[in-house]
Amino acid sequence: MDADHGGHENQVRQPRQLSMRRFLTGLVVLFVAASSHAASINAHLIQASNTSEASDEALKELEPKLKKEFGYKFYHLLGAKQESLEQKTKSRLDLGEGFVLFVTPQSEDKKGNELEIEWWSGRALLVKTVAKIPAKRSVFIKGPGVGEDWIILALSVHE
Amino acid sequence: MKMHNPELINALVDGELKGVRRLLVERHLRGCALCAAEYHHLHHVREMLAANPPNAEMSDSPEFFWSKVKRGIQACEGKTVEVPGSQPGLPDWLGAHRVAIASAVTVCAAVCAITLISHVRHTMTPRPLVMANVPPPTVINQGVTAPADNESEEAAQPTVEHVATALPEAVATTVDTKDKDVTVIWVSGLPWTPTMADMKTKFANLDS
Repeated sequence: MDADHGGHENQVRQPRQLSMRRFLTGLVVLFVAASSHAASINAHLIQASNTSEASDEALKELEPKLKKEFGYKFYHLLGAKQESLEQKTKSRLDLGEGFVLFVTPQSEDKKGNELEIEWWSGRALLVKTVAKIPAKRSVFIKGPGVGEDWIILALSVHE
Repeated sequence: MKMHNPELINALVDGELKGVRRLLVERHLRGCALCAAEYHHLHHVREMLAANPPNAEMSDSPEFFWSKVKRGIQACEGKTVEVPGSQPGLPDWLGAHRVAIASAVTVCAAVCAITLISHVRHTMTPRPLVMANVPPPTVINQGVTAPADNESEEAAQPTVEHVATALPEAVATTVDTKDKDVTVIWVSGLPWTPTMADMKTKFANLDS
């Protein structure tokens, strides 16, 4: 009688335990997904000009800031790359026109991602910098002049 | 009015003083026995004269006298004659316009009071603190940055810890920006090329 009673209790408990396991598994999956979420860097290679006919649609968000800082009328996108940031891992971004960007995340905190950035053109290291870039903020690097235009590199981090 | 002035006492007796001037003279008389005696003497003389008017007898008849005056006017016709007149002084003017002056002073006082009250209220009202717009840490030449003092500002704007260029004649620096969302690194002294193709060739052969 007691055994039957106990068996009945087990039958009731089994679905509860199952649902609890599923709940915990879901929590773990969510935790892992959240912890593995990495920021990414967007790099835009831009030609600033006063003689182009129109600016690029792809630079719609950046253009007002570029105009404010550099004063050129038009901004033409030469190349763009996006790369996920993995700590201490060097990423290579080929931006076109011989320009290559190497990005190595150094650390990450609430204030942003600290990145070691190298901007190369051919065999020349144009800039090497360590910058902390908060999310949705930008770093512009004014590069070489071509004719009457300038080459500009725009970097921004997105979560 | 501190000095004895018989002319002013005469004017007061004749009723020529008005406004502030009259008040000042009257106040002086209350404190100065000499001038008060002079005033009473003159006032007495005036009353006597008023009570006993002189019997004026004209040598000519009124018609003949008027014809002489007329001839004199006609002879002086066309000539400019300066008529001596008493120029009203500042006290007289003040007395004549005392209502207008009092109104103006009242309005000025009211305006001052309103301005003062609004200023006091403005200074007493607690206002939200505005963070100072601290410029980003600037890297001079290829050196090291100054650390940012303001924590919140540091979080808002990208900060450059270190910046350098490997090209011998180039200099990389951060520059002050107009937008706090943006940090600009300026690399000057880079080789200039007329076209993009030239630039690729130039940098491909340039060894840093």
